[in-house]
Amino acid sequence: MKTFLSGASCAVLATAAVTTIVAVTGIAQAGEFDGITIEAKLIGGQQYEALYARIPEWEAATGAKVDIISKKNHFELDKEFKSDIAARTTDWCVGSNHSSFASQYASLYTDLNGFIGKDVVDEFVQANIKAATFDGKLVMLPRAQFDVSALYYQKDLYEDAARAKAFEAKYGYPLAVPETWAQVKDQAIFFADPPNFYGTQYAGKDEAIVGRYYEMVVAEGGQLFNDDFSPAFNSDAGKRALQWFVDLYDAGAVPAGTTNYLWDDLGNGFASGTIALNLDWPGWAGFFNDPTASKVAGNVGVAPAPKGSAGIRTGWSGFHGFSVTEDCAHKEAAASLVEFLTNENSQKLESSAGPLPSRTAVWDYISEQAKDDPYRAEVLAAFKETAATAFAVPPTSLWIEATNLIYPELQAAILGDKTVDEALADAAEAVDDLMQEEGVY
Amino acid sequence: MKRLKLPPWLVLLLPAILILSAVVLIPLVLSLYSSFTSYRLTRPDSIFNWVGLFNYEKAVTDAKFWAAFGRTVLLLTVALNLEMLLGLGLALMVSKVTHGQRLLRTMMMFPMMFSPILVGFQFKFIFNDNVGLVNNALQSLGITDRAIPWLVDADLAMFSIIFAEVWTATSVFGILILAGLYAIPRDPLEAAKVDGCTSWQSFRYVTLPFLMPFIYIAMAIRSLDVARAYDIVQVMTNGGPARRTELLWTLIGRTGYVDARMGYANAMGYISIFLAIFFTVYFFKKLTKSRKELGMGA
Amino acid sequence: MARNFNHRIRRYTFKAMHFFGLFLAMMVLCVPGFWIVLNSFRPTVEIMAKPPVWIPNELNLDHYRAMFGGIGEGGVPVLTYFTNSLVISVTSTVIAILIGMAGGYAFARYKFKFKGGIFVGLMITRAVPGVALSLPLFIIFARVGIIDTHIGMIIAYVALNVPFTVWLIDGFFRQIPPELAEAAEIDGCTRWQAFWRVEFPVARSGIASAGIFAFLTSWNEYALASQLTRSTTSKTMPVGLLDFTSEFTLNWGGMCALAVLMIIPALILTFLVQKHLIAGLTFGGVKG
Repeated sequence: MKTFLSGASCAVLATAAVTTIVAVTGIAQAGEFDGITIEAKLIGGQQYEALYARIPEWEAATGAKVDIISKKNHFELDKEFKSDIAARTTDWCVGSNHSSFASQYASLYTDLNGFIGKDVVDEFVQANIKAATFDGKLVMLPRAQFDVSALYYQKDLYEDAARAKAFEAKYGYPLAVPETWAQVKDQAIFFADPPNFYGTQYAGKDEAIVGRYYEMVVAEGGQLFNDDFSPAFNSDAGKRALQWFVDLYDAGAVPAGTTNYLWDDLGNGFASGTIALNLDWPGWAGFFNDPTASKVAGNVGVAPAPKGSAGIRTGWSGFHGFSVTEDCAHKEAAASLVEFLTNENSQKLESSAGPLPSRTAVWDYISEQAKDDPYRAEVLAAFKETAATAFAVPPTSLWIEATNLIYPELQAAILGDKTVDEALADAAEAVDDLMQEEGVY
Repeated sequence: MKRLKLPPWLVLLLPAILILSAVVLIPLVLSLYSSFTSYRLTRPDSIFNWVGLFNYEKAVTDAKFWAAFGRTVLLLTVALNLEMLLGLGLALMVSKVTHGQRLLRTMMMFPMMFSPILVGFQFKFIFNDNVGLVNNALQSLGITDRAIPWLVDADLAMFSIIFAEVWTATSVFGILILAGLYAIPRDPLEAAKVDGCTSWQSFRYVTLPFLMPFIYIAMAIRSLDVARAYDIVQVMTNGGPARRTELLWTLIGRTGYVDARMGYANAMGYISIFLAIFFTVYFFKKLTKSRKELGMGA
Repeated sequence: MARNFNHRIRRYTFKAMHFFGLFLAMMVLCVPGFWIVLNSFRPTVEIMAKPPVWIPNELNLDHYRAMFGGIGEGGVPVLTYFTNSLVISVTSTVIAILIGMAGGYAFARYKFKFKGGIFVGLMITRAVPGVALSLPLFIIFARVGIIDTHIGMIIAYVALNVPFTVWLIDGFFRQIPPELAEAAEIDGCTRWQAFWRVEFPVARSGIASAGIFAFLTSWNEYALASQLTRSTTSKTMPVGLLDFTSEFTLNWGGMCALAVLMIIPALILTFLVQKHLIAGLTFGGVKG
């Protein structure tokens, strides 16, 4: 994955860095935070670290120092935050956060509304700000790591006249890049030729499959939870959504191991050239089109996420951001750092390497920049379209725990251990028990 | 003031006792206490919320917990026995080689150089059904034209995990048993030959009894260590799919950290500690017995 | 004549089977490892290829170059991780050996109450599942302020290894006749001198074998390290492997490159001391 970062985007990155230096100040006043040290726990990994190279600029501008005391991947960081809350060692200041996890750290992070001007907050994509707000508290500012999934596909599959004819004869409509999930199902079954080629694939475990199921329930016109967070997925829409996963598995249109796949398996699978259609994240766009990493390079098309039977696009989304702890001794300085890491220039720098921004102006900026690169333009157009109707995970601190109850049941239905009805009934009962035990209702 | 005089054995043991108390005993007392509370990591005050035996009752009446418990016992039994048999075979073969033993012994220990977390990733890729090494090889050799779902199928998933676990740990058995083979006195073997024993007989009645203490030591060490397989399983399947490979460690790890229910996780942990203690004491007893039979009792 | 011939055939078949069995076993043990080494030199497109590429078209050092490269180019602070791993593993092994020698000597040479109980008690500390331990340990370490330090990791690993070293070294001292040391004491040595001059040299290879096991355990440990380390000040190489993962991606080629750097020192060390290892285990194990 480093390849796609280092390859084509390096030049862009360098120029972006140069231009940003000129425009650093303006937000923070020189010497404003002299002598203050901000301890930060930031997400590590190659995709995320280019941004941290900007931190010295903020230090120079404000006189403060940043001490990165922890750098881990997201799941390890989650474990560490929880351990920190438990041990009450939360006097560090800035932490990386994620919209899917943020609701669990209610007591850890402070409300940024008091520290960040409303005019600044207004410059972000408002759907993201809403997803970062819990009980009226703005717990994080989004960085340019917005994630929603669009449909990657192998272009040449749609350029073969004989195949198109065979498809139309069988299904009664012309073969084209799918716009609905029903079409994805038809085409996936049509393209599949196991064990050498599969129609599609999906994430099969942990929060990942529940997220995929969640967006499908929404696209089918249903809901995962009612407003009081009681389970709502044991409904017709919920059953239709799960049936889609089951049918593909039964038809052999997805790899038999798909229930054990996580994101890395999916990305590597599509890059191996054995998958026709692949709903996946923006972070892979460069990788898929990089000849040293991917066999489908040059043959990748990207379309907006298809729609469900209710005419709604899938669009489970999440984003990374930065938060300031409640116990931080220098909240103003910490908030200034957070603002700096998410400001326009920071987002331009980060999104020049591929990730999607969370500021309206930067969306326009990168679309403009991509004009001369047809692949990049196609990627951005597809993701922009999908992002327009994207939605975040349900805002409950029990989200992750609920997914741990739901996903084994989804797997059981897909693998045939249970029927769809049984699996959803069991999952709904388990979630209901959890919510009641926690006194949610 | 008179200096307190400790017996010399205690002085010698003190460092070991001190460090184990600090790193193991005190944390254990803490987690024992928390298993009687509704402790959630994200709500630190809940550690003072005493719930008595609630967590234990919940665990004991939970079918999922006992399924994981049974599966863990199964994995331990199958893996330890397989490791022992394969380690024995390996050691016998290596001991018969006349040239290049040093190289062979190093090769034999090769898997011990691999961090468990690395082993997990390694076998996750090797057993991948679509682009994995095993399926690629089988398909290229024309043995199968299917993509075998190694990590998904109910039986194969357990097999794959056991394979990975056995792969890492057979070396430990091999090297310990090999040490035993080198230590066997020549005389009884010679005598057996003179008495007209077949090679199987002399193996069964002379070599094997001598090796038993080594085998039990290896068993005891491994049964202490086997919980480290958590890293492997967590990366390979994380207990899935549909709880087909759920073990105590994955269940407890997920409950404790991902769900943040540390109190409940610790209660399950304490029930499972008895399992570890049982295996350890069992092999320890066996070891003492087989040493006595050989006249090597302390 | 025929009998002799039969006998020879049997011997040859046996030899062939032995060779074949050994070859097969070594294949199974080594191929997954070699596969990792090979992958570290191959471009990602070939590692994950389907249909598989059995004979590499291209081998290069890209993964290594990227790993040693700068931030944003796929760089990982490998050398820092390596130093951390080395310092932590070596120090904790040495301390665990010293404590193990003291404890082993106590069990081997003195009679006292509850000896068996204390012994089994020490062993069982190793059997505690990491999950039950990791959080309280984290809380204690965080309060004392030794999270993310070499000291903290060393303390944890010493505790991890002490049961094993005590056991092995105890067995070893036991089979040295006490008379040996007593003779030296009569010759005017103190007990301390007698230990270093007489008993220690005999016990050396047992200690070496306990050492290599302890070293490998520390070198490869992940679960505790991931909880007790945070940044480059103390992260060890197994934890560093996770630097090649992000939320959605995993760089397997890069991981393999780091894995190779982890394996090589362990392999060299094992090759050097494995003669002692066998000798040490021979005595140390049985006669406990």
